[in-house]
Amino acid sequence: MLIPIHSADSASLIHLREHLLAEATPGSRVILDLKAVEKLTSLEAALLLRLVIEGKKKNLEVRFSSLSLEAQQAFTGLETNMLTDGATAAEDLSPVEEVGEQTLEFVAAGRRLLDLIGELTYWLVIAPWRGKGMKWDRTLEQITKVGIEGIPIVTFLSFLIGAVLALNSASQLRQFGAAIYIANLVGVSMTREMAPLITAIIVSGRSGAAITAELGTMVVSEEVDAMRTMALSPGRFLLLPRVLGLLCAVPCLTILSNLAGIFGGYWIGVILLGLGSRNYLQQTAQALLISDLITGMVKSVVFALLIGLVACYRGLYVQGGAEGVGTNTTASVVTSIVLCILADALFTTIFFYFE
Amino acid sequence: MTTLPDTPYVQVENLVARYGTRTILDGVSMTARRGEITVILGGSGCGKSTLLRHIVGLLTPAAGRVLINGQDIHQASEDEQEVILRNLGMSFQAGALFNSMTLEENVALPIIEHAKADAATATTLARMKLSLVGLGHAGHLLPAEISGGMKKRAAVARALALDPQLLLFDELSAGLDPVTARELDELILRLKMQLGVVILIVTHELSSIQMIADQAVMLHAGKVIASGPLADVRALEHPQVHAFFDRQPRPVTMQQALLQTLLVNGES
Ligand SMILES: Nc1ncnc2c1ncn2[C@@H]1O[C@H](COP(=O)(O)OP(=O)(O)OP(=O)(O)O)[C@@H](O)[C@H]1O
Ligand SMILES: [Mg+2]
Repeated sequence: MLIPIHSADSASLIHLREHLLAEATPGSRVILDLKAVEKLTSLEAALLLRLVIEGKKKNLEVRFSSLSLEAQQAFTGLETNMLTDGATAAEDLSPVEEVGEQTLEFVAAGRRLLDLIGELTYWLVIAPWRGKGMKWDRTLEQITKVGIEGIPIVTFLSFLIGAVLALNSASQLRQFGAAIYIANLVGVSMTREMAPLITAIIVSGRSGAAITAELGTMVVSEEVDAMRTMALSPGRFLLLPRVLGLLCAVPCLTILSNLAGIFGGYWIGVILLGLGSRNYLQQTAQALLISDLITGMVKSVVFALLIGLVACYRGLYVQGGAEGVGTNTTASVVTSIVLCILADALFTTIFFYFE
Repeated sequence: MTTLPDTPYVQVENLVARYGTRTILDGVSMTARRGEITVILGGSGCGKSTLLRHIVGLLTPAAGRVLINGQDIHQASEDEQEVILRNLGMSFQAGALFNSMTLEENVALPIIEHAKADAATATTLARMKLSLVGLGHAGHLLPAEISGGMKKRAAVARALALDPQLLLFDELSAGLDPVTARELDELILRLKMQLGVVILIVTHELSSIQMIADQAVMLHAGKVIASGPLADVRALEHPQVHAFFDRQPRPVTMQQALLQTLLVNGES
């Protein structure tokens, strides 16, 4: 079959392809006469090649005739493997292999996490005795970044949450003439539950993400490798200061969050519900137990550690350039929030049974 | 001339390097000696940077070993590794400068950390190193504020910060203007004059190779295809070596032949 091609623009080549694949008898030979075509763009050449490849699949032998020398230039870069489809794609794994692969990856990830914890412990506990002290200036810098710069948002959101708690409970408690118990409710739920959790969520969004992005970028741009070749350990210079910074800043922010939340409740109780300032404060003081405060603080320390470990891990093991930094940053925030809430649920259950 | 110990400072023995299942280096052996400049040659993507990363211990070999001054860098204890690394300076292909620090701070960091120098001394020293590479005026700039070639030179200055025994430069003169490239070459020749310094360079620039190289190692398809004094390597009758030094492009005739198979003559 001889098909004269009058114009080799993409639209007519695509049209021809559909036509040809549908109508030509399998096993036949199709010759495209390109006499009328003076030159081709590389896109048009690629379309012509697709005709050959897809024709071959249908057992058609597609060939060109009268291809001008100028038009032949458009085929520069042609290689043998391009005439067969998908030769360079990675082979698919069988389901069993897939499971195996993922198990191995999971085990490797666990090992890396243990390595990370080991390294942090080494630089925190052992190295100072061997004359390699901690990097206090870098730690202080992190405390400022996480703690001081986090103050406004933590205060503001905790205040709002405290106020919302008060408002929500007011409608219920007022029915029983027990509005003053708003103070108990706000005080206890802030100190035990809300303050540590809100703070942890804010910090993982603000600082956990920042840590992962920062470390990830340093990994991608080979800064971490450069540090290693200078005998400057990333564990000592990058990771420990960040984790310590979180461990110092998060409990402090949690205390602040307590105060702001209680003040939020106070504000609603006194201004809106007219509960009386002294009354409210006295009620709060009675309701708060030292053990509640301690519970909250313990939680905040654990949350800080979780955020720090997740953020460092995700940052240090970034793969695949800028895109990897993006995905790992997202993953860092999601993972640490999930872990914090899980840990919180665990804590609350344990405390519930031991009281 | 002082006699130098005869064992090579860097010895790579049958190194096998893999990324996942892809084998990049397949049994590479090479050496670099004191007082000599060894260049590593080879096409783009053949594994030169990978080799350097194994030599400095950033990557662990799948097989084989790397001895630095007689010590296996991958088996060494942490303290031994630190000693090796303190005596080593490496500049990365893309610079790898610390982006949050100025050039001066970049160069001063290893000085402050390892030489226990006070900040003022370290800064002075950092400025000296920067002016060695022609960046004396740029010390206060951040890496984001300088050009690619300047980054490369700043990375060289940082590698020189502690006057190391072993210097490794990845793609030193790529992307530099001829004058700067020439200045760097001269700097490297001066460094060589210091007693016992070992210099390993990855480069593609023929003029630079011509000027500085004592020894050459040529990689191709995961193997060393030629090594020895530069003149000997050049004289070798090996197609790849020939192609590299005479800048022969890969043949394109094959594509023409392939296209011919898709053509039919005349009408049928
Ligand atoms: N992190 C990595 N993961 C997987 N493969 C990699 C990685 N780094 C490099 N490679 C592969 O290893 C091979 C060698 O890379 P390498 O960077 O060592 O080449 P090179 O000789 O330095 O090239 P160039 O002259 O372009 O710098 C390349 O084919 C590359 O695809
Ligand atoms: Mg390279």
